[in-house]
Amino acid sequence: MIQKGGLFILCLAWVCISVQAQQCTLTLRGKILHLENNEPIEAAYVWLVESNKGVPSDANGNFILKDLCPGTFTLQIRFIGHKEINRSITLNASTTSQTFLMEEEAVDLAGVEVHGHQEVVQTTTSVSSLYGEALLQSRGESLGESLKRVAGVTTFSTGNTISKPVIHGLHSNRILILNNGIRLEGQQWGAEHAPEIDPFLADELTVIKGAETVRFGPEAMGGVILVNPPALPTSKKKITEINLIGNSNGESGNLALAHAGGSAKIPGLGYRLQGATKRAGNIRTPGYVQDNTGMQEMSLSSALGYSSKKLGAEVYYSYFSTTLGILRDSHTGNLTDLQQIIKNGRPFSEGEFSYAIDNPKQDVVHHLAKVKAHYHLQPSWKLNVQYGFQSNRRKEFDRRRGNLNARPSLDLELFTNTAEVSLDHQLKSQWTGSAGISLIQQANSNVPGTGVTPLIPNYDMFNAGMYLIEKYMKGPLEIEAGLRYDIRNIRAARYLGNQLEESNLQYQNGAAFLGAMYQVSPSLSLSSNLGTAWRPPNVNELFSQGLHHGAAAVELGDKNLSAENSLKWVNSLELDGKKGNLELTGYVNRIQNYIYLNPTGQTFVSLRGTFNVYEYLQANALFYGIDLSGSYGFGQQWEGYFKGSLIRAKNMETQAYFPFIPSDRMDVGLSYSFGKPEEGQGKNRITLSSLGVARQSREPDFDLAPAPPAYSLVNLGYSRKAQLGKNQFTASLLVTNLLDTEFKEYMNRFRYFTADMGRNIQLKLNYQF
Amino acid sequence: MNMFSKLPLYLLILLTLGFASCESNDPSEENDGEVITDVTLKFQELNASNALVGSVLSFKAIDPQGIEVGKTPTVQSISLTKGKKYQMTIEVTNSIKNEDITQEILAEAAEHQFFFLGPVFDSNIFSIQYADAGGIALGLKNTVTVSSSPGTNNSSMRVVLRHDLNKSFAGASNPNFSNFVQAGGETDLDITFPVILN
Repeated sequence: MIQKGGLFILCLAWVCISVQAQQCTLTLRGKILHLENNEPIEAAYVWLVESNKGVPSDANGNFILKDLCPGTFTLQIRFIGHKEINRSITLNASTTSQTFLMEEEAVDLAGVEVHGHQEVVQTTTSVSSLYGEALLQSRGESLGESLKRVAGVTTFSTGNTISKPVIHGLHSNRILILNNGIRLEGQQWGAEHAPEIDPFLADELTVIKGAETVRFGPEAMGGVILVNPPALPTSKKKITEINLIGNSNGESGNLALAHAGGSAKIPGLGYRLQGATKRAGNIRTPGYVQDNTGMQEMSLSSALGYSSKKLGAEVYYSYFSTTLGILRDSHTGNLTDLQQIIKNGRPFSEGEFSYAIDNPKQDVVHHLAKVKAHYHLQPSWKLNVQYGFQSNRRKEFDRRRGNLNARPSLDLELFTNTAEVSLDHQLKSQWTGSAGISLIQQANSNVPGTGVTPLIPNYDMFNAGMYLIEKYMKGPLEIEAGLRYDIRNIRAARYLGNQLEESNLQYQNGAAFLGAMYQVSPSLSLSSNLGTAWRPPNVNELFSQGLHHGAAAVELGDKNLSAENSLKWVNSLELDGKKGNLELTGYVNRIQNYIYLNPTGQTFVSLRGTFNVYEYLQANALFYGIDLSGSYGFGQQWEGYFKGSLIRAKNMETQAYFPFIPSDRMDVGLSYSFGKPEEGQGKNRITLSSLGVARQSREPDFDLAPAPPAYSLVNLGYSRKAQLGKNQFTASLLVTNLLDTEFKEYMNRFRYFTADMGRNIQLKLNYQF
Repeated sequence: MNMFSKLPLYLLILLTLGFASCESNDPSEENDGEVITDVTLKFQELNASNALVGSVLSFKAIDPQGIEVGKTPTVQSISLTKGKKYQMTIEVTNSIKNEDITQEILAEAAEHQFFFLGPVFDSNIFSIQYADAGGIALGLKNTVTVSSSPGTNNSSMRVVLRHDLNKSFAGASNPNFSNFVQAGGETDLDITFPVILN
């Protein structure tokens, strides 16, 4: 089934304009892209057999063959790791332009980093990916921590084990995470609810920084994170990867295995199995051990896929479970407790190292199953069908009296079905697009028996959306536009005291975007994207009513909140030179009816003591900022890089600042490489880097404690990549917070209670065979 | 190939099944297990030979709904006689579930402790000692001595119940330990009772 030729290749022949030309003055222009992600292919070789002429493609995938005679020729395009294109072509116009899509071939090339064999989203907005070596460096970290490597992405964390990615100042329900193309649906509303996914399942993490509601549905207001597993093998080969990671701080161990293979009997049939397990004990700050901050995690994923000329199908399952200890002293009984520990600046209790996880803790289990198929109706039309099922169980345990201590005080079960049907077309070389319908159905239940009035009600949510995206590509210019319309219904029910309270809420909204990308020169490209997005209020924002246990806060929801609407404009400039590269992204995001938790300034008195009262309010907000990153090679061995981001966020009505907006930060590093991999020696690299984080001087009017001071951290790493026969072995040693600096990060909710993590020495081994 | 050509059908079946089987449960009433609605301080006079005499005086702090926004607890004034010595016992209940929490506190004596603070101790109007069985520092049973010349007839006493603290923390054995937060744990009760002396 896999043979030479243009199998799978969508011929984008475009009608040639007939011009009378008998002399050899014709020109053939073209663009060569990866079939899977439309990324340009550089240095593919284009050969016009009969005329004995050939040329390689440039960095943008473009090529030009000049002085051609009219007639029919055989065009050959070759690129390593990809199926050769052999096509008959008739030249009879003064200029002919064609786009060629090359399909990756399952060829194992040791040492060659083949990037982007996944269906990466095509977009004109700013996209950054972590893959290959950068991803290898992040192995063992949570999704949030891994993505900090991308400029403009920070984390909103609760201690050192719970971290949520923040894109351009927005997080939780304002960004979307896709696990292999399925919207990850957990209890993302909670500040202390980390995404239920292990980045080990991915070989690529992609961050889209624009508003991508049209493609992915409501909530993709700040951006989208794609967690993409590697493509399944389509030929007979087997790849196994082992990762072994140890950390000194927390004395943690992390083992991950992945195995993928293709069937010899049925061409096109491939599978992958992947699993990881992690265990960590209490975290140490420079001065003390944080009590009860250990964690345990296990994840699995498996996929089976089949692809032929016309049909592709995939079955996918992923499992994630975690138990997270929560710093004992962060759990406060009332406002006095909270004020006392903030005043103290560190936990009262003297922690000792232990792997034991006691209450308060979280227990989360997430299952995700997916079935996906595509079918090529015609060479230019493709039908996609995708269905996903997710189950999320979250249990949170507090310190309680008697046998209640063994019972969770929050026990939520969430089921989500997602279905999507879409039709893609690549009509002529200039027009590509997609139209589709997507459905989300969700059911949330509080499991009875917690002995605590539930924070959020039981509810059923249904969302239906329709979208249309069209893209026009010509030469260096790409223009893209899309439209979407969604309706959402939420039916909620709960008992308040002994009163049954039911609500039925409807939301509907349209979204649109317009984007363009222009390749000014082979090394410079500009892009601009203007998109609207919306987000219906979340159940916690609508229905919260009562004490947030452990936080010493009473939170009041508002059923009359309206949906948030945002308009985000993202512009980016990418400079890709021989010696270095530069990426600059600037954005403005105006959010109407931005929902935020506002301290009322009132307190509530009970037998337990006093609590602060917070309410959910809406206001118009403006977010804007820039991300800047780049690297430069000095000679063969030295390379420097930098990465920084600035964010400003303001309440346009009161001119106040919002809480938990990342402060300005800059990361700079210098690396030195030595060794001669081409002579069979290992390749070594030493990297010294420094992260500087400014104090958040734009503080909200009310905060429990002032923003912590600025800090800077020094990290030192060494890695060695070696070839063992046909197999690849990478070992690295990384020391983070080398000077054991005591610091508090503004974006960590536990800055009220404790300093952040101290020095950590990490050893990482990766073996691929 | 036959299997794959039927794929859309399988998908449809899966989809229908998935969507149909997925509805939220009906909500059920959840009785707040840890809620404390009634705290009763019972005083009974002790004579010179430390024997209980006279009738029991009860003073209550009540919050019938537990922790509910908009409601404030009702706290009665403690009315005692100058120069007398009393045995003070504390009873803690959840009237919503009709549960005696006193027994739970006693059963988990190693994790609980009452502290007694406020002007009534600062001005040496009251002095208090733990008198729990077994000599443990818990505070469900105490001895309170009222000064014979307090200087004022109106004062107040703050009663704090701490949970999950380090009871062996230096100073924590003192019922008037005002730095109780240093011993870790969290507050379960924090009530200030007005005190009237006759």
